[in-house]
Parts: sequence; structure tokens; C-alpha cells
Amino acid sequence: MVDEMDLVGQLKAAAPLRPDAYERARTTLRVAMIPLPGAAPVRRRRFSPAGNRRGTLGTLGKVSIGAGFGAVAAAVAIALVATSTPRSAAPAGSSTGASTGPAAVGSTLVTLAADIKASGGSVQGNASLAITTQVIGGKLMQAYYGLYTDGGALYSGDDRKTLVKAVADHANQADSVDTREVAAARYAANGNLTTARELMVNATPNDYFLSLAARQKIWAKGAAARQALMREKGIKTPLTMPTGKALQADIDDSVWNNSIDSLTWGAANPEIRAGVLRLLSTLPEVTVVKSTAGGQPTLTLTAGPALLEGGKQVLTINAKTGMPISSVVTLPQVPTSVETYQVSRVTLAGVKAGKF
Amino acid sequence: MTSDAELIGRSLAGDGQAFMEVVGRHEVAVGAYLARRAGREAAEDLLGDVWVAAFESRSTYDRSFAEARPWLYGVALNRLRRYWRSRPAEDLVPDVTGLANGWDPWPAVDARVDTQAVLRAALARLRPEEREVLTLVAWEDLTVADAARVLGKPAGTARRLLHQARMALRDAPEVAALLTDLNSVKESQ
Repeated sequence: MVDEMDLVGQLKAAAPLRPDAYERARTTLRVAMIPLPGAAPVRRRRFSPAGNRRGTLGTLGKVSIGAGFGAVAAAVAIALVATSTPRSAAPAGSSTGASTGPAAVGSTLVTLAADIKASGGSVQGNASLAITTQVIGGKLMQAYYGLYTDGGALYSGDDRKTLVKAVADHANQADSVDTREVAAARYAANGNLTTARELMVNATPNDYFLSLAARQKIWAKGAAARQALMREKGIKTPLTMPTGKALQADIDDSVWNNSIDSLTWGAANPEIRAGVLRLLSTLPEVTVVKSTAGGQPTLTLTAGPALLEGGKQVLTINAKTGMPISSVVTLPQVPTSVETYQVSRVTLAGVKAGKF
Repeated sequence: MTSDAELIGRSLAGDGQAFMEVVGRHEVAVGAYLARRAGREAAEDLLGDVWVAAFESRSTYDRSFAEARPWLYGVALNRLRRYWRSRPAEDLVPDVTGLANGWDPWPAVDARVDTQAVLRAALARLRPEEREVLTLVAWEDLTVADAARVLGKPAGTARRLLHQARMALRDAPEVAALLTDLNSVKESQ
């Protein structure tokens, strides 16, 4: 017996949204989630307008949400967030196809890292202060005051006043990811770069260094959910488990993003800065060009589409000190984000007293 | 699995990723909800606005409800109403004289689909809230109680609206004729 509800149900069908529409919508949200000056400070931030992680889909289907990168993969990944914990650094299994090519000794970044270490000496202060201003599409979106102590505490504010208050309130916002990222950067300053890369990648959950069999097992476990979601989203191209070059790109992407994160926290610490530069020197997708900015010699590091699918990030650093100066993130269909940094070495007590 | 309510709570505590997880859980459903009511093109434009509106109003979410989808539909409905209001009248309604209010676009929706025109016309004649409850139940598979959450009305009111909508459809001559035809065909099979 057909009734009126059945009839109405016949009108239910609607043309599904195209897969990239979901990613565009999420990007809109990510941009909106960036707090405006005066709003409560967020616990952590990144250099890009909305987190610049590639929308990769590891075997675990984990990863952070990309901001326009790899829309298809990200669309699936978003609903498949894994709960795995990072593992200790393990040798890169050849079966994963992950070759962790270490730095080209003598490269510009490695040389600069060596110079930073050599000139570091005794460092004054006990914390790194980075004041960031972000402009998106020509509009000032936020200022961010981030204070990362050598002991691993993180305080933040939208301005001097809120940062001082955060310190006075002991509002330490550091989490285990920050700690692992910074530890990896510190290790990279002097340690083996293959190990350092794994440490940096493993700062966030992943399955990249498991054996091929283990990854396939995890991939198979998530297949039904993945396929159902792809069907719902109208994704026609079957997703395949990243191996070989695709896996390498995912790993390199993690190295880039996590390294930039650690630079965000600890830019005024020469050990962290040197470690980050050494890590970035291992990325064949990143180009380094000598440049000048504001009359000072700079280096322009560009992570292009090969690394950041569909977009690029240009990081400008001081050619002599390695201090970050600016970052420009360009993504398809998203206003360009420009961030500028003022980095200084301070003491926690000084900041608490408003002396900075 | 962590409930939507818990994720929203975490989001309020500063965990932006938690709200993105809520989005991931419901984006297909909310996208379809919008597409059924405004068409795919508009739905694709509106979806981001819905997430932003939901994010900005998440502090009002009643976390005694574990599942956020009805709430998200409510946010989407509000955004749709604004969209409909912003559209030129000629884009929506050739003849607005018979409508309950100015934002209602249903009489103009997709009349090109001849086979479904009868039903759409009948839906267009329902009061907006009756139609919304009816379609929330018929298209989005919500319970009447959840449909009430979308509209911000008591469950009893939603039940009454659904009953009125069903009666109005059943009593519409063209719908009654369709039902008679379909059921007689079934009986003869």
C-alpha cells in the first residue's frame, strides 16, 4: 500500500555535491576558525591560514585535514581519523617504499644550520617569543603572541596583555605533539638525519614506517568504511594505499609541516632552528633561492605543488640567522595568507613582568 | 565512538580539530539536505556558510543530545531561509501571492520535472513548517522528535504539523488520484 509519505520519498533524490565542494566548505570553516584579535587565544596555531597539512590518506586513514590539498583524499580522510599513537622511530622498511633521503651535505640549508650552531654559543634568555601577524586576502586576520620556553611550556595570547596573563596564570598549552616536534628538531641539529626525519614524522600519528604487510592489514580493515564514504561523496576513482612515490610524498609532507610547527614554537632557539633547517634540507620538493627582503639577505624556501598538492608555501628566512621572516601560503580558491614574524629571545620572568 | 556532543565540547575548549570531525561525520547528509531544497549549485555555495554558522553558534548546542545532525539541519535551514530571502523574487516564485511568506521558494522548485510536478505542487501548497517536518521525516530519515529539534519546536507540535501535512497531501485531489492509481496497479499485480 503506497501512502503519501512514500510519494514524498520519491522526491528525495538530489544531485550529490561534487567532492571538491566538501573541501571548499571545510576550507571556508577553517578560515573562519582563525580567531580574530580580541578573541580568546587558541591553544596552538600553524603558519598557514588553516593548517597546511596535505590531505593524505595513510593506511590508517588518519592525518590532519588539508586546507585545499588533495581534496578527494582529504574528503575521505576527514571521517576516518584514526586513534593510533605515534610509534617510536623505527627503521624505514624498504617494503614501504619510503626512502628517507638524508641531506645533501653542503647544501645551503645545511651550511646555514652549521653556521647557526657555530655562532650559537651561550644563548641568553630561556624562551622563544614569536609575534605573528596574519593577513588573508589583504585583511588583517589576527595577531598571535607565542611563547615557548626551553623547558617545553607554551603560552599564547592575542596581544601583550593576554600573553602576560597566560604566563601569570600558568596557562601552559603545550601538548605531546609540540613536545615531540621540538624534540625531533633538537635531535636533528646534531643527530642522524634519517632518524631525525622519523622522529619528526612520528610526532603525529602515522603508519608510514610499518611493514607493507602491516599497512595493508590496516588498510583492509578500513576498506568498507572508506568505500561507503566514497560512494556517498560520489568519488569515482578508487583510493589506493599510498606506496612508493605517493608514500614518500606523504612522509615528506609530514616532515615539512611538523618541522614548520617546531619552528613556530622555537624559532629563537638556535638548536631548534638549526635542526629544522637540516630537516628541511632533506626535502627534494623544496627549493631554496637566495633573496633579499627589507635590505637584508634572505633565503626563500618554496614547497610547491609536488609537496603541497595544489598549492605552495613560501617561507622566507634570514640568510645569516635562519630566523623566519614571513610565510605566504597560496591555495586554490582560497585567499592568499601572508604571515610575518617577529622572533626574539626572552625570559619567562621578563614576559611575566611585561618586559618584552 | 566519541559523540558529537563530546566533540563540540572539546571544540569549545579550543580543539579545532574536534569540530572538523563533526563536520566530517555530517557533511554528506547536510550537503544532501541543502541540495534537496536549493539545488546542487546553491548547496555547494551554502555548505561552508553552514559550517561557519554552526561553529560560531556551537556554544548554544544542547550537549544532552549526543547526535548533532538535527541541530546542523536547523542551522542549515536558517541559512537556507537567508538565502531564499536574498534571492530575487523572480528567481524563486513566479506567483508569490499564494505563499505564506516571502521567503518560501517551493512553488518554483524544479517544476521542470514533469513526472514529479504534481507532488511538488502539492508540497508547495503546504505551510512551510508542515512541509519542513514532512520532508525532514521523509527525506532525512529523522524521527519526529528530531525534526522538532531542527525547527526548535516541541515534539508534540512537530507531530501535529506532520499529521496536518499528511492529511493535506492525502486530501489533495491530484495526490489522491496518484495514490489511487498506484495502489490499484499494485493490487492488480
